Order: sequence, then C-alpha cells, then structure tokens
Amino acid sequence: MKIRRMYLLWCMFLVPLVQYAQITVQGIVTDEATQEPLPGVSVVIKGTSQGTATDFDGNYVLQANLGDTLVFSYIGFQPKEVVVSSGTLNVTLLEDTTLLDEVVVIGYGTTTVKDATGSVSSVTTEDFNKGAIVSTDQLLTGKTAGVRITNNGGQPDSAPNIRIRGGSSLTANNNPLIVIDGIPVDNTNPAGVSNPLTLINPNDVESFSILKDASATAIYGSRASNGVIIITTKKGLTGEFKFNFSTNTTVSKVGKKIDMMDGTTFTRFIQQYHPDFTNFLGIDDPTTDATDDLATEAIEGRILSNTDWQDAIYRTAISFDHNLSARGSIFKTVPIRLSLGYTESQGLVKTSDYERITSSVKLTPRFMDDHLKVDFNAKGIMSKKNAIDESGALSGAVNMDPTKPIYDNSADNRFGGYYQNTVLDGDFVKLDGQWNPVAILMQRYRPERVNKILANVELDYKMHFLPELRAVANVGIEASKAKVKETYVDNSLATYKQDDTATDPANNYRFNPGVHYRENQDIVNRTLEGYLAYSKDLEGPIHNFDVQAGYSYQNFKNDGNKEEYDYDTSTGERFLVVDPQNPTNRYYNELNLQSFFGRGNVNFYDKYLLTVSFRADASSLFSKDNRWGYFPAAALAWKVKEESFLKDVDAVNNLKLRLGWGRTGQQDITGAVGYYPSLPLFEAGSATSQYLSGYALYSAKPYNSDLTWEKAETYNAGLDFGLFENNMINGSFDVFYRTTKDLLATVPVAPGQALTSSFVKNVGETESKGFEVNLNVKAITQENMSLEFYGNTSYSRAEVTDLQDVSRITASESGIPTGTGVNIAYHAVGYQPYSAWVFRQLYDAQGNPIHGAFADFNGDGTVDNDDRYYKTLRPNWTFGFGFNFNYGKFDLSSSFRGQIGGQVYNSRRLTSGWVDKAIPNNSNSLSNVLDFYSGAADFNFVNVQGNVPFSDYFLEDASFLRCENIVLGYRLDDALPNVSMRFYGALNNPFIITKYDGQDPENFNAIDNNFYPRPRSFTVGVNVDF
Amino acid sequence: MALIQGCTSDLDTEPQVELTLEELLNEDPDAVSGILSRLYASFALSGPDGAGSSDIDDDAGESPFLRGIVNLQDFTADAMKNRWGDDGLDQLTTTSNWDENNKFFRYLYNRIYYTIPQANNLLLVLRDVDLDNKDQIEGEVRFIRALAYYYLIDCFGKGVLATEENYGTSEPLSEVDRLELFNYVENELLAAEELLPATNEYGRANKSVGRMLLAKLYMNAGVYTGTERFDDAAIYVSKVIDEGGYTLDTDFVSIFSGDNFMSSEIIFPLLADSQTSQSYGNTTYIVNGNLGTETMTLSDYDAEDGWSGHRSTKAWYGLFNDGDLANSTDDRAALFWTEGHSYEMTDYKKWTDGYPSIKFRNTFFYSASSPTYFSSTDFPLFRLADAYLMYAECAIRGAAGTSMSTALGYVNAVRNRSNASSVAQSDLTLDFIMDERARELNLEGHRRSDLIRFGKFTGSSYLWPWKGNTLNGTSIPDTYKLFPIPLTALEANENLTQNPGY
Repeated sequence: MKIRRMYLLWCMFLVPLVQYAQITVQGIVTDEATQEPLPGVSVVIKGTSQGTATDFDGNYVLQANLGDTLVFSYIGFQPKEVVVSSGTLNVTLLEDTTLLDEVVVIGYGTTTVKDATGSVSSVTTEDFNKGAIVSTDQLLTGKTAGVRITNNGGQPDSAPNIRIRGGSSLTANNNPLIVIDGIPVDNTNPAGVSNPLTLINPNDVESFSILKDASATAIYGSRASNGVIIITTKKGLTGEFKFNFSTNTTVSKVGKKIDMMDGTTFTRFIQQYHPDFTNFLGIDDPTTDATDDLATEAIEGRILSNTDWQDAIYRTAISFDHNLSARGSIFKTVPIRLSLGYTESQGLVKTSDYERITSSVKLTPRFMDDHLKVDFNAKGIMSKKNAIDESGALSGAVNMDPTKPIYDNSADNRFGGYYQNTVLDGDFVKLDGQWNPVAILMQRYRPERVNKILANVELDYKMHFLPELRAVANVGIEASKAKVKETYVDNSLATYKQDDTATDPANNYRFNPGVHYRENQDIVNRTLEGYLAYSKDLEGPIHNFDVQAGYSYQNFKNDGNKEEYDYDTSTGERFLVVDPQNPTNRYYNELNLQSFFGRGNVNFYDKYLLTVSFRADASSLFSKDNRWGYFPAAALAWKVKEESFLKDVDAVNNLKLRLGWGRTGQQDITGAVGYYPSLPLFEAGSATSQYLSGYALYSAKPYNSDLTWEKAETYNAGLDFGLFENNMINGSFDVFYRTTKDLLATVPVAPGQALTSSFVKNVGETESKGFEVNLNVKAITQENMSLEFYGNTSYSRAEVTDLQDVSRITASESGIPTGTGVNIAYHAVGYQPYSAWVFRQLYDAQGNPIHGAFADFNGDGTVDNDDRYYKTLRPNWTFGFGFNFNYGKFDLSSSFRGQIGGQVYNSRRLTSGWVDKAIPNNSNSLSNVLDFYSGAADFNFVNVQGNVPFSDYFLEDASFLRCENIVLGYRLDDALPNVSMRFYGALNNPFIITKYDGQDPENFNAIDNNFYPRPRSFTVGVNVDF
Repeated sequence: MALIQGCTSDLDTEPQVELTLEELLNEDPDAVSGILSRLYASFALSGPDGAGSSDIDDDAGESPFLRGIVNLQDFTADAMKNRWGDDGLDQLTTTSNWDENNKFFRYLYNRIYYTIPQANNLLLVLRDVDLDNKDQIEGEVRFIRALAYYYLIDCFGKGVLATEENYGTSEPLSEVDRLELFNYVENELLAAEELLPATNEYGRANKSVGRMLLAKLYMNAGVYTGTERFDDAAIYVSKVIDEGGYTLDTDFVSIFSGDNFMSSEIIFPLLADSQTSQSYGNTTYIVNGNLGTETMTLSDYDAEDGWSGHRSTKAWYGLFNDGDLANSTDDRAALFWTEGHSYEMTDYKKWTDGYPSIKFRNTFFYSASSPTYFSSTDFPLFRLADAYLMYAECAIRGAAGTSMSTALGYVNAVRNRSNASSVAQSDLTLDFIMDERARELNLEGHRRSDLIRFGKFTGSSYLWPWKGNTLNGTSIPDTYKLFPIPLTALEANENLTQNPGY
C-alpha cells in the first residue's frame, strides 16, 4: 500500500439545508484507476464538521440525511461531492495528478499550488527519501531543485548544511530559516546537538514547503534571505483510531578508506627512504639487544605488527528505529495524533553512539461551529550522544605507525592494555608521538544529553459578526536542557601524569580517572505571533482578495556554564578551574527579534494573481539606530491556462507564469561574533590569564556599533506546467537574479583600527543568478503497474561585486591543516565567493608534479602571490533524479543526486603525502603516510613548505553522482484482518561515481580533512497499519 | 500598543557575563588597573581565557607577542636555530624565501596592532574616569603603546599611526614612514617619561623603563631614520644607570630562573606564572623549546614538556674560549647542553646538531621548586647589563658625555659577574661589543636589531650557519633588514604598501 497522508478539508460554505430524516450511509471508496480500496479517505457532510474516514478496506459508515452532500477527500486525489440518495454510496476517486489543489504552507497562511505566486516547492511523504533515515533533513536530500543539503559526514547526528540557491551571505548564517508548525526555530543548537533536525522524528513529518524566492520568503523578512523551509507535522483525523507501527534495522559499513600504507609497505618505505629510522619500527624485542642491520631486509631487534588503524577505529555499525503512532479523534470531535519513536544509532567510528526518544502530540479541535480552530502541538525529545574526540581518532588512525600493535598485554603495560609509544625522560616514562587512536576512543566517555520540548498553540478565530475576518494568535516555546559530562576511565592516556614525589620510573606515575568536563545549558526560546486576516470573494474583475497584518516577537535565551578541570602540574591531581571573576564559568546569550508585517493578495478574473507584502524587522544584535530593516516584496502570477486560447487545448493541463521581486534581510552573525557585537564590553580574564599581581585583568572586547542588516534583493521568474493526458509531463522552471548588499562578513580590520585583527562588518555586495528545473514524467500509468521518473537540476553562480575598501577577504572556514589561520579560499571581487586562491602546479614530462614549481603567470621571473589564480570550490550545478516503480504488490524506487564541478582540497596529501612526514619531528615516533607506491601521493613531495600548500595540485574535481538509495518493498494486505503491512529492504549510499582520489568528494567547505566517512548501509524494515 | 512598546524594549538585550565600562567601574575600584594589566599582558599572553585562547585570529600557541620577538629577533639571527621545519618558521631560521604569506610575520604584526588600539581605547576611557594616579597610568599606557610601535619600526619599518585621536574611524588610515613613526614614538616616550613614576610595582613601567626604550630607539636611530643619535642614547642610558637604582645580580643564572622576580637587575620584565599567567608564547616557549627528552632530562630544569625545537649555533657558543666550553671560566659558557650534541650544525633539522641553550629554565634559583608545564620565569626585556653594554657602545662610538673608562668599568662588571676575565680599554671595539652582547644577551630578543646596527645582518661581511639557507652561510639581500608587510594587512588596508624586495 502506498503510504498516503490524509488531509482534512474544511468546508467553507454554509449552505442552509432542508432537514431530512437521518439514515445510515455506507459504502466503499476506491481508486478509479486501480480499483484498489482507499483507506483513510475523509468523508464529511458538507457544511458540518460531522464526518468519518474509510478503514483499511476503504469502507465507511456514517449517519446523514437524505439530500446531504458528502465530501470525499483524500490527498493526491480530486475531492468528490455526492448527494445522499440512498443508504449505499460507493465512490471512486480520481487521482489528482496535477496536485493543483494541494495545500502549500507559505507562512502566516496557506495557499494552493495553483494560486501560489512565489517559487514554492512542496515535498510530501511519498516523495521522501527512504531507508536509514535518522534526521529530518535526510528525507529531503536531493529531492528538489535549488536545495543543496550536504551533511558534515557520517556521524549519527551530522550537521546538515542546507543551501537554497547557494546562500547569499559570506559570514552570516547561510542556513535557511526553518519553521516547524508555525514556529521559526532557533539557528543555534543546544550543547550536544549538531543537527537541529534530529530533534523532530522524521516519521512525524507530513510535508516540507520550501520557499525560494523573495516574494515567497519576504513575509518571514528578518531571517529569510536564505530561503525558508516550513515543516508541517502529521495531524489527527476524524473517525476511529488508526495505528501505525514501523521498525527497521540498519547495518552500516565504511565505504572507502584512506589509502595509507600497511605495515609491510611502511617498513619497506622506511628502509628505502629513511634508513636511519628503522629502529623506530614496531616495538622493542625484549629477547635481544640487536639493532637493525641495514644490509638485511629483516628488521632486527624489533617486533613488527601490521595494524590497519582505520579498521581498528571503525566498526560494522548496527542501528534500530521503532515508531508507533495513532491518529483518530477523542470525544469523537477532537482529532489527535500521538507518536512515540525510539532510535538507537551507531556511528561507524567505535563508541560514536546516538540514542533518541521522541514523542509528539497534536490536537486540532474546532469550536464554536468551526469559528475557532485550535492547533496544539507538543514534541518532546530526549537524546543522548557519546561525543567522541573525532579529529583525534580520525587523524590518529591516519598518522599512527602501522607496525605498532593496538594492544599490549605485557605485565608492565600501564594504559589499560592499549599499546602506547613512550620515552624515558630522566626518571619518568613520557607519552610519545601519536596517541593510540583506539585508546582515545575507548578511554573517554562523553555523554551529551539533551531534553527538549517544542510546543505551540495556534488559535484561529473567525469573527462571528464578520466571518471574512480572522484573528490568529500563535504562542510557542522551544526549551531545552543539555548536560554534557566528560569522563576518563582509569589508566587513560589523557590523565597520565608524573608523580613528583616518587623517582622510580616503574611507579612514579598516576592516573586521575573521573569527570574532566561538564556543561549545563538551558535554552528558552519564546515566540508570540498574532495577525488579522481579511478575505473576501467578490463578483466582477476582482475574483477575491485577502489582506493580513500582524506582529511577531521572538526571544532566544541561552544560559549555561562550563566546569573545566585541570591537573596540578606538581601533584598530577585533577582540580576544578575556578575563575574568581566568573566562579561558575557562566555564559549567557540573548537574542530578540521583533517584526511587523502585512500582506495582500488580489485575484483578478481568476487569471492574474497579485501578492504584495511588507515587513519591518528589528534585531537586538544591532545598536538602536541601526536596528530596523524594511523588507517589501511583490509577485504576479498569470494563469495562462485560464486564458481562452488555452482553455480548450487538452494537451496543456496547466500553465502558469510567475514573476516576483522582493527584499529580505539577514542578521545572524552570532556564530562569528556572539550576541552583543555592537556594544563596547569588557570581559574578565580567566584564572590562568592574569598578569599584574593584585589586579583582576579585564579585556576590552571588539565591537562594531555600525552593524546593520544585510539586504538581499531577488528577482524571480517561473513557469509551472503540466502537459498531455494525465499530466504525463509536469514540472516547473525558475530563473532568478539576486543582489545582496551590506554583506555581513568577518573581514580583517584595517590594522590598528579595531580591538582585534578581524571582525564582522557590512562590507559589500554579491550578485547571483541561476535557474532551477523540476520535471516529472509518468512513463507508465496502468492498473497494475506504474512508473514515474523525476528529476531536478539547478545552476547558480554568485559573484562578489564589491567589498568596499578591500579587494578580497579570506574565507575563515577554509582553513587547511598546515597551521591555524592558513586559509585557501577567498571572497574576491570579480570572482565567485569561496574561491581557492592557488598557484598553478607544474608537472614534468611524465605528468608528475614538480615539487614547489609553479607557473609564473605574469612572466616577471619570480613566482609570488601575483601568480596565483582563483578556482571556484563550490559547485554551480547540482542535480537529483530517481524513479518510483510499482508492480502489483511490489514497489521499487531509487534516487540519485550529485554535483557537476566544484573542487575539493585533498588535505590528506598535505598532511600525509610527503616523504619526510614519516620521520619524527619532536618525538621518537614514526607517522604513517599515504601509499606512495600505489600513487596516492607523489615521491617528489619531500616536504610541504612555503607556497606548496597553495598549489592547485591539492585541488581535485569534486563532481560526483551518488546513489542515495535503492528501496524494494512488498505489500501484504490480507495476512491479518484490518492489517496492512509493507516489508522493505533499502540500500543507502551504495555507490558513488567520482574522479576524486580521496575518500569522499562531497564536502561542504571543500576541505577534505579528518572526514567522518558516510556509511554504506543496508536497512530492512516493516511498516504496519492497523 | 503599550504591550508592543513594552516588547520593543526587549530589543535592548543585556549581557550577564560581560560588563559595560560603567558596570566594571562600579564593581571593581581597581578596574582601570585591571585593564592596564591586560595591556602589559598583551606582550606575553595569547588571550583572555587561558593559553588556548587568542585575542586575534591567529593561533593561540604560535602568535603571542614575545614568541614573535624571539622568532623574529633571535631565530633570524646567528645564535639560535629552530629545527621543526614548520612552514614559515623554517624560512626565518634559514633567512631565506621570506614572503608576505609567511604567517610568522603576520603574528607579530597583528600583535603590534592588537596592543595599539587596546591602548588607545584605555586612553579614551581615562578621559572619563576619576583616578588619583591618572597621570601615571596614562604614562604607562603611552609607554606600552610606544613599545608596540617600537617593534613596528624595527621589524616592518612603516605602518599606520593609530592613536586615541583617530580611534574609531573606519576609513582606512594612510601609511606613514619610518621617520614619522620614529618621531611619534620619541615624543610619546619623552611625554611618558614625565608622567611615569620613579619606581613602580613589579612588572610595570617606571621612568627607567621609558628611558631604556628611548635609549634603544636612539641607539638604532641611524638604521631607522638615517640620522645617528648616539649622543641622545647615551643621555638616557646614563639616566637609567645612574638614577634607576638597579644593580647587577651576582649570579647570571638567577636572572633566567623561575624566581627571577627577586632580581635587582631586571628593569622591565614580561611576566609569566605557571599557574596564573599561562602562555605558549612567554618564556615557556624558550624553556620547553630548548629541551628535548632525546638527550636531556626535563626535570633538571623543572620542565614537564620538551619540544626539541631550539638549539644555539657556534656563532654563539663559539664566542666562549673558541668553543672549548668545558675549559671556559665564563659562567655563561656553561649554559649550553652539549651532551649527545655535536658542535657543528650540519643539519639544522637534526636535534643533536648544535647545543640547546639552557640559559632560561623553570628551576628556582633561591629556593626549591618542582616541574611545571608552563614557565614561571619572567622574561627580562630590559636589564641593567644591557644598559651597561649600550653605554659602552655609545662610548666607543664617541657619544657626547660618555667616557671610555666608565665604559670599561661597565663591561668588566658584566664580564666579571660571570667569572669572565677583565678586558682592557684597548679591547673595547665595536666588534668586541657585538660579541659581548652575544655572550650576554642572546636569546633575549635583541640580536637581529644589533646585527643590523653593526651592519652585519645582511650581505656577506658576517656569515653564520644556515644564513641564506646554506650550511656555512651565504650573503642575504639588504632588503632583509625589514620583514615583508603581511598579505592580510595589505588586503585589509589598501593604503599600505609592501616593503622593497618582497
């Protein structure tokens, strides 16, 4: 059975009816095309709130009067009205292939696809990605044009980077605004949460609306520059309770590993390139005093292991997901939906575990003859994550010498059985070189627990004296409590310290297991919104119009403290670091946003639709004088199909042209400069950062009181179309042009002119343009078989057009691992934002790179910064496509996505792709390197100094095609009465096609370094409706 | 409407942890001294929240001011080499391939221009507060700012002149040349001299500290402006010697030990404390950097970590008894770790080539101590022995008001303190002073400036191991007397121009 969502349509027309005698009406509702019974169809007596829904066999029963009109509605089908003329009414519904009446949520209201004036994409349940889905964003990946979702890696709660049309800011937050059931949610995550979208159960989501152009987003003004994603959760229904239980199990493995040397190859490499260091290979053989004889191939006096350290930290991960939900009505009149979910997800890296319990309740009662509609939503989430030292473990697995063992079972091992290289310093055995990455993972436990609620109640009152006027109020709260606790087990490397009171190396050490770090955090975000809406249908040229005006208040408060522990350097004892100036080590961040907004829609002749909106926004991040921003928008739609010349053309079912213009704002720079960037403030120095004796130290914090709104202006033109019988080909096409002014960006300040070296400033302008195509083709629509293809592609290209006083600024998120503050990417005038600024590598006749040799572009005889050029890192083209195939009780679907163009900086070559990397720097330990023999790195690279890290040699084409999933399902309807089951198996991320040499080309910041690999996984599951 | 008005006032969010100036002044009567403490600390600490925090964009560990002084003044010169091969640092150590991308130039530049506006800010704060010792604090702030500018003049030769007068302007300031910066710093120091007290709390500037910097400015005036000012240098260094009340410590090692706050010789220290004032860029960088477990025992110097980084070269230890350190009577010759190390630095990246300097250590001199990770040893940025040798150099150069016999007395006082033999007045030549300054002051952040003043830094008149990236040294261009202006600065203010040769 296809999982279909039911939608209640509320009757708008009160038609006085003559009273007839009540009778029992019953019947079966079937799909006109397939003759399959349709469960969950809403059956309502027109003009009343009385109704029911069909059961699993499509049957319904209700009491009605002869002459009543029954309205049968079901999402995805055209509604049907039938007058009650007898006790049995069998009804067939016709699939609404154009979905033109589908309700689209657009912010402070809804519209329908056919009346939408802006660029709005809707993604509903049936389109969602399937398989191993832990977070809500994964439902959407690759599903709609112009939306690029790139997660940070394979962690169970990996942060998604969502970019709609490429984002418009440089430093300010580029994530779209996310609105869940009417509440715009916080952009900041609670401590212990990387992905805010793991905090709603994907099974609760009914639909996404993605607002892309300014005319659609402007109503959200302040935070809508990067688009808006509106998430609506499932509702209850009238009638009897229906239940759904779903469960699945996922097994995941690492796909491609990094091509490091194995023990044997590494030994050969050391013998060949660093023969002075062969005595550092493996571990000492206690049975002999021999040292390595360089003349022989064997390594004398050492015991060599062959450890694959990547295998050592990865595992076959197993995850479970169970969900139970119930929909129905309580007291026969209050539709309710309840859900409970439990997820236990293992990451690929050992001990990277994630556990989540979600619950939700949604009540949608109607009062006073439907004059008062109430929507109550509450979601509760408990999550627990063991946060691993990710970069420590991942880089450790790459660096650690493969001739070393994982475990050391000798009697004098002091590190809990883990091997660790050490060196005797005086009378103390010190840790040396790379820490054993398995010990890093196993010896630390850092549960990060978050309890969160997201609740709101929306009251929508239709005036008794003036039904065209509604007053809507929405009050919401988003509150979370996070607790982080980091603990070390006994004998852990991290707490190994010298005991100065003893001198015998055999026992002059100590461990201090226990709590090392704690963080407690309370977040309370309050939302209050109210608006009045007036809507009127008219005769004459103005078909109808509506206006809305309202006010919105949001306050975000994040209050927490951190307990940090340190070691007494003389005793090795752990102690709490107390800062006398801030004894609890508190932090407190508050953000306040307020807006006034209005919108009007006019429909002329039911052919021309005009929308105008205006919004005034204030943000507490800016000083009083710069606080308010004003954001107008307008859009026009022309329903061409309604024109006489097309009305009778059967091949064209739908044709609509949209034009839009609007201005939106951006103020979220808290990630870069905190919550009080416009105020001159002082902060006290910590306990370890004091100076003159007898005075507490205070630092003047940098600020910029001139900060104000970043403004984006977008022009959009779009075309929606549906062609041929049954809308065999349908889709949309949009082009846009956007300029962003007063860009908020972290820029190096002119030296000496601010209290630090770089700060946020309104600096300049970017310009971007692009287009998006969505296309669906129904290749086969038969009774027992259907096949549908869908695809989307988008192109967007941005350019920095002005940066005020400077010609380029560094992109601080483009750090390459050759020291802090060394960045590869710039935002430079005349180029695409986030372009790498690199030297062109020269290659010898054999095609091998010549170390340190670069093209002298300007021919002045020296190679310097004047010879560098820009190379765009982020892709201009992204696409997604897939198919859904149904045959009898089987269904098969698959989706793919990818990017064309873009570059990724292969940092592994920089950190591990040079010959001298293997030998110790300030330790006595060797480091593993990329397998030079297999071609993963080039022997010509002896070191990486000077301009070598800026060579385009490290940049590789990041184009890829990824198979997101392949899902095969089988429906079983008749095994048990009133029970419908679907069994499925899914492969997620089974393959990727790319030329990239490293692990994974899909990398948001285009710097491939210590990347947590995305798993390849297999899921089996069952979904039961009863 | 009233409701909405009530709500819009919520837009004035109030921080709960950070303080406004008014709140700070109300809360702590010593708040201004606390802000001043931060300015002094800007030469040693990386940031306000421990050794891992940074005031600027740059790496907290690598970027502190003092670490920049050691990297740019000592590693670029003859006496000290680093072996890590770190990109940027390696180029300093081998005086080769310098360019505007080198982050180590940026670190010092950014620190200079962190301290300056912080000082400007405090000067503006001072205008609005009532304090008993306002003049003194103003003098201290102006000294601190002048010290930061001194390093701009010495290392980069030009820049913008950011003062309390143009503080807060967002138009990029215009570039000023070395002479203008020199004149500004000279006037500032002359003004500060009036404001500073004769004596002050430990770690703070007094008249002698201001005069010492003024003397250093005049000593190098020929390099900075083309006009020599040794007469003026002699005036101020004499005042330091005669009026400062400092005396040489009896034991050389005590000046570089964990309890050197007891010193009678140190004129201006940059403070460090293993518990309350931690930084990877204060003396911790010098102590841990010169230690390596491969050949040494860290606990001998009360250190907990050795970074196997720095070693001196024969250009330093060769100055003691022709390199026969074991048979030298000079106490200063004993401050090299020779065991397991070779005299020649055939491969500067090899730890055992060259002797680590054990001049600086965490060990206390006057009492027992135990190992710490961070150092408690204060860095003697200015000390009396330096003043003595500056006087002697002025005398040799014929500065007005100096006498060669006084100079000889000062030189022998410095030498005899370390059990080095007395020299005769006829021995007092510029070459001798250059060598004596090496023996006495190397690794104290003066060497590159000294070599430039003596005309020995660039060219081939003086070669040292790995100068110009060759084992026995080779000529380097005159343009290396100044460091390149970092690319980030050129990008942030397009009025700035690059130094010649880069």
